[in-house]
This record gives sequence, C-alpha cells and structure tokens, in this order.
Amino acid sequence: MSDPTLAVEVKRVTRVFPGQVNALAGVDLTVSDGETVAITGPSGCGKSTLLHLLAGIDSPTSGSVVVGGADLAQIRDLSRYRRNEVGLVFQFHNLLPQLSALANVEMPMFGTHRSSHKRKVRARRLLAQVDLAGYEDRLPTELSGGERQRVAIARALANDPRVLLADEPTGSLDSASTSRFLELIEQLGSSGMTIVMVTHAADVAAHAHRVITMKDGRIVDSTHAFDHDRFAMAT
Amino acid sequence: MTFFDLILRNLWKKKARSIGLLLAVAVAVMTVVALDVTSSGLEQSAAAIISVGKADFTVAQKGASSTLTSTIDRNELTRIRQTPGVLSAIGVLVETQHINADNPVFIEIGIQPSDLAAFGVKVVAGHSYSATSNAEVMLGWTAAANLGLHVGDHFQANGTRNTVVGIYSTGNAFGDAGAMFPLPAIQGYNRLPGIVTLAFVKVHPGYSIASVAARVAYDQPQLTTIRTANQFGRADTNLVYLQAAVNGSTVLAILIGAIIVGNTMLLSLFERTREFGLLRAFGWTRRRTVSLLLGESLLLAVVGAGVGVALSFVVTTVLAQLPALKGILHPNFTEGAFWRALFTALVMTFIGALYPTTRAAVLSPLKALSYE
Repeated sequence: MSDPTLAVEVKRVTRVFPGQVNALAGVDLTVSDGETVAITGPSGCGKSTLLHLLAGIDSPTSGSVVVGGADLAQIRDLSRYRRNEVGLVFQFHNLLPQLSALANVEMPMFGTHRSSHKRKVRARRLLAQVDLAGYEDRLPTELSGGERQRVAIARALANDPRVLLADEPTGSLDSASTSRFLELIEQLGSSGMTIVMVTHAADVAAHAHRVITMKDGRIVDSTHAFDHDRFAMAT
Repeated sequence: MTFFDLILRNLWKKKARSIGLLLAVAVAVMTVVALDVTSSGLEQSAAAIISVGKADFTVAQKGASSTLTSTIDRNELTRIRQTPGVLSAIGVLVETQHINADNPVFIEIGIQPSDLAAFGVKVVAGHSYSATSNAEVMLGWTAAANLGLHVGDHFQANGTRNTVVGIYSTGNAFGDAGAMFPLPAIQGYNRLPGIVTLAFVKVHPGYSIASVAARVAYDQPQLTTIRTANQFGRADTNLVYLQAAVNGSTVLAILIGAIIVGNTMLLSLFERTREFGLLRAFGWTRRRTVSLLLGESLLLAVVGAGVGVALSFVVTTVLAQLPALKGILHPNFTEGAFWRALFTALVMTFIGALYPTTRAAVLSPLKALSYE
C-alpha cells in the first residue's frame, strides 16, 4: 500500500541499457505531494534516466516506479499516464516549429475529450499564466529562448498534471530568462504542484525544497537545505 | 486547433514535399483513369454497332479479333433464322473507310432495304436505295451534316461515285454518323459475297431472349451471341486484350505510385521522428500518431485523385483529337471513372503508407526524442 502523501515512490530501480551499461543501479526515492526536488550530479550519473522513468517514456530493468499511487509497470496505457499525470519540460524547449505558441500548448490536450474551443481557451489561459498573452500566434522562430521555454512550461501544464518533470530546463537560457523561469517554478510549487527537476545549475537547485545528488547510477546524497559547496562538489 | 487543421499545417509546412507527393498520386491516377476512359471509349465505339439495330441480341463470329472481321455466311444466317423462337434475323455487313481527315474511320453498313424498318431505320429525307443498285447510298443525318451533303448530291465511297438518295435516322449516334448501302453492293466492294458481319435477332413474343440466344450459340458453336456491351469481348478479342493491358497498367501505376508515396512518407517519418517522439511523450497514443501521418497522406491522396481526374480529362481530350484516333476515341467519363480514381489513390496510399505507419506505430518515445 503506497503512502497517499507521496507523489512519487521509486523502489530499488535499476536500468541497464544494451551493452550492460548500468544507468541506474538500485535507486530509492520518494517525493511528497507538493514538494520541489532538484536532482543533480555529474553527466552520465543517471539523473535524466531517472526522469525518463518518472515520465513513463522508459521502463526500469527492475524495481518499481509509483506515481500518484499507480505502479507504472501495471499501467496498460502509458499514453494516458503521460497525458494526464506528468508534464514534461526539456532543455531545448522542443516546440513544434510549424505551429504557433497557442497550437503548441494545445498539443498535449488532443485526446482529452476537450473540444477544439476549450483547448484553445485553456491554452490562452496558460500562455497568460506564463506572461505570454499576446504571443499566441507567434511561431517558435519568432520567440526568444526564454519565451520558448515559457511556452514549453505552459504546454507541460496543459492537462493539469500531478507532477512537473523538467530536464535541464534552464540549460539553454540566459540569466534573465532563468530568473523568470525560476519565478514560475516557485509559483507552481507554492500552488501545490510536485516538481522534479534535473539540473546542473546551482541557482535552480537553490529553489528546490530538497536537492538529491546522484553518482554512478545511485543517489549519494539527499538534503533538505541547499548547500552551495556540496552542490559544487557534486556537479 | 482541430486535428484537420494540424494535418493542413503540417502539409503546408513542407509545401514542396506535399506538392511532390500530390503530383505522384495525380500522375498515377491520371494514368489509370486515362487508360480506363480511353479503353472504355474505344469499347463503347466498337460496341455501339450492336445497339444500332433494334434487336433483342446480336450474333457474331466467336473469337474474332474485332467485330469488323467477324464473318457469318449465308447458311449460318439461315440456321439462325430457323432457330425456334427467332422472329427475324437481319444480316448486315459493317466496314469502315477513310473518307477524309475529319472522318478517318467512317462506318459503312450494308443492309437490304427490306430490312431497314425492322432494323430501326427511318428515312427522314429522300427515299431508300433499291436492293440491286450499285451506286446508291443513304447517309445518316449526322454524317450528312458533317459532310455537307444532301439528297441528290454525290458521295465518293469504295471507289464508286454514289448518289445520295436518302437521309436516315436510327436514333443511335454511331449509326447516324455512317452510311448505308445495299447489302450485295457492299459485299461486292469488299469481295465478300454472301457474307455478313453481324446478325441482329428479334425474338418471338413469349420466348425467353436468353434461352433463344443460348440455343443459337449451342446450335452453332462457331458463333456467339451478345446482349450487352459487356459481352462484346466474345466477338472482339482485341477489346479483351486491351482491357487486360489496361488492368496490367493499372496495377503497375498503383505499384509505382505506392513506392513513391511510401518513400516520401518514410522520408517524412525520418525527418519528423523527434516530433513524433515528442507527441508520444505528451501522451499521444500510437493510434493518434499514426492517424496524423495517415491523415496527411490520405488528404494528399484525395486531392491528388481530383487533380489526376482533371489531368486525365485534358490528356484524353487531346488524344481524341489525334488524327489516328479521331472519330474512334470518344472519352467516356463515367461516374465509375471517378470512383476508380479515388480507389486508385486510396489503394496506392494505403500500400505506400503501410511500412511508414507501422514504423511510426512502434516508435519508442525515448528513442525518437534522442533521434538526430
């Protein structure tokens, strides 16, 4: 029986890629509802792999991943899980270049029984929430890096997910855009959303309730207080 | 944004590829439809002869390479007339002649004047020719109008200067575009004494047409009976070969089109692998992702089918004006041709889309997202 206060529960998870590469070597992690967690560690330590497992776009070799009380291994339709339970933000925004900002935000809402009109209304509201009202018809090429990332956040929030997952979300942003992004993350966190971020950036990690450090496919540290020196050593 | 809007935007984004794919479908459809319309037009022209005489069925030589080479001799015609249930059997000799550039294939029908009424011929001007005349002719009213001839004028045919003694109407475009001669005269011109090409049979009221036709064919197995244009191949093997060639070309056109469609879709899939991975990561189902790819192709197929039909109309119209085909080819655009176009485009797209959509369906979101 899983703890109802837990948004994420990862138990003894391993992930071995072809060629016997141990990306994850027995990871245990819990994230409480409404908690913001930053996962840090050197490149290749397995933090993105862990995020992919939480996103339901990869499966563990062994162990279990439980999100919102549901064991992902038991879910037949992971598409529905990805659509409704998690929101994904990538380092390079990954917006569809042929679509406007509004249409990009609408994309995850296809298949949710929302009418075209309701999808549009919600997408407008989400763009306004990330301070992009008036930018609806702009193509990604007509937006700055920071604006694109905010569209990506709006898109991740399209279906009101339980958990927001972000993989190096500020990796391609300048400092002003990073600050704006972190404000948004804080707003979402204070509204009760569970957030898991993979990051190399100290200022991003500093906004988390908890910083988890990984090395060689294992969690080597989990602290509630951001410690700049420890962070610098870990990354 | 609706799903259809998304399909349109994706196609618009890659205009050059979309147009290329559309043209591939259109050319394949044009080939299929043009062949179909052409063969159907040729078949209709050839088969029109059987509907000139107001008969219940027509008798021809079985397996003749074309209707015009069918031969029925006097004895065979007599036996047809003696078949139980046969009311009348009118023997006619059909030939063609090059009159001028506008009439490269002019139809000449040899028929006894006594059979004209039963054959459905109405003399609308002048009078009928005499049974033994060697220099009298009746022109169909369309032919007379085309040639600018009237009763009393002269018409050069078969190396003879014939006097136009009458203008007739059969109510059949094919028959009205030709000329009628006394049967012995035209048999003489063509050195075919006692021979007719076709026999037009009427059945006694109360008899089954099908049974009488079957009896004629049974009694004289060297002959065949034709009741509809579809049965025309029995007496015109050229048309059977033509249809076989059209069918073969259709299959070839579909296969070539399918390869082009498949290749283009596969290229599109490779280029958009990250996009599909992203959509899957956002919770798009396999079915929805495949529907997007398939929807784009189907839309192009339907539009391509329309463009293909339009192109085939242009091509067949031009073909019909070629000297070699003038007067023979009457492009026959039927509703069936449009359905065939749509069917061709859809089958082509379905076959072409099979492999790319299967690949799209099994695409792992993670692998797709890391695809370079």
